[in-house]
Amino acid sequence: MGVGFVVGVLGVLILSHAAYSTIQYRAMLKITEEEFSGPPINVVVELIAGLMLCMWAALTVPGKFLSILSHSDENRVVALPENLDFMIFNHRGKAIPMGIDAKLK
Amino acid sequence: MVSKTEEEQVNRLESQVENGGGGAWEYLCLVRKLKLRRSDKVLKFGLSILNDPKKRSALGPEEWTLYEEVAVAAMDCQCPDVAKEFTKVLQKKFPGSKRVGRLEAMLLEAKGSWAEAEKAYMSLLEDNPLDQIVHKRRAAMAKAQGNIPLAIESLNKYLEIFMADQDAWRELAEIYVSLQMYKQAAFCYEELILSQPTIPLFHLSYADVLYTLGGLENLQTAKKYYASTIDLTGGKNTRALFGICLCTAAIGQLTKGRNKEDKENSQLQSLSAVALEKDYKQRNQSKHSLLTATLKSLKLS
Repeated sequence: MGVGFVVGVLGVLILSHAAYSTIQYRAMLKITEEEFSGPPINVVVELIAGLMLCMWAALTVPGKFLSILSHSDENRVVALPENLDFMIFNHRGKAIPMGIDAKLK
Repeated sequence: MVSKTEEEQVNRLESQVENGGGGAWEYLCLVRKLKLRRSDKVLKFGLSILNDPKKRSALGPEEWTLYEEVAVAAMDCQCPDVAKEFTKVLQKKFPGSKRVGRLEAMLLEAKGSWAEAEKAYMSLLEDNPLDQIVHKRRAAMAKAQGNIPLAIESLNKYLEIFMADQDAWRELAEIYVSLQMYKQAAFCYEELILSQPTIPLFHLSYADVLYTLGGLENLQTAKKYYASTIDLTGGKNTRALFGICLCTAAIGQLTKGRNKEDKENSQLQSLSAVALEKDYKQRNQSKHSLLTATLKSLKLS
């Protein structure tokens, strides 16, 4: 959690730095009166790095993935719950003493 | 519904508590959540918590839920005296509560004084005529007394009002199966499959009922439902695999001579036989010879 969160923050910081550099680059282009053809290479590298870090953090921080397959161990129903609303006490256990000397103190 | 992971977790926790490893409260919570009926263990572990004032006060308001759980477990273990003590504690804490009233009526049931229990339930119903649990208890009480027709009648009446109650449908289906009234049981299982189509066990029971009914059409439907069980469990349900083998064998016997679907049938059969053999080899080598003999006899017939 801690590591993932720090990485996520780092990714967001890198992304915002890329945005800031792009704005500065555009301002510089206006001064030198050149056409904007594309962002400089260091901004592109920053964008890719920020994207990677943010994606990694988003996948790890919220937790584990749950299986959606119906036959995976987490989803496969192997037993129905006992029908406790219809539980009857008049069963064969009556003939066999449980040997529990339970007492509430 | 108890999934494979949850089942393993319960069993692990149970042996852990049994060997003095702690975790009794987690175990009791899990049993309550999964609605398991392990009354002896619940009584034992629950008492050990309730008899320890320190552990008991650490639970906070959950303490009273535990009292109720253990009281029902005590009734199931034929210790009405213990259950009575618990009910008294709850009665003192929540005077005039319906839930405690139900518990007291259940206690009367456990003691076998049916008339008094019936009276108690009727008075509870007067206050709230749509109390589902009390209605269900009355059906269960009829069953406990061996009065199955009355149980069926009251369940049918109950289901006319509360049609979405799966537990009641399941209980009715099981009663019908126990009376060998398979057509009615099949209807109940259809309802269950409709309301919860992803639970393989309902498909399996429905297929079992249809196979028992017999007849070509029913057998073919049963085969389809066994197949859907296999689909939903990823082939890990041995009973469904056996069901396919039996169904195809029975269909083959019925349609001898006019084999329209013979190819599909034999393919299904051999596939499930292969799956069974693989499963047995992996999990139970000693019974493997038995399996081969059974499959051989099915193919010959």
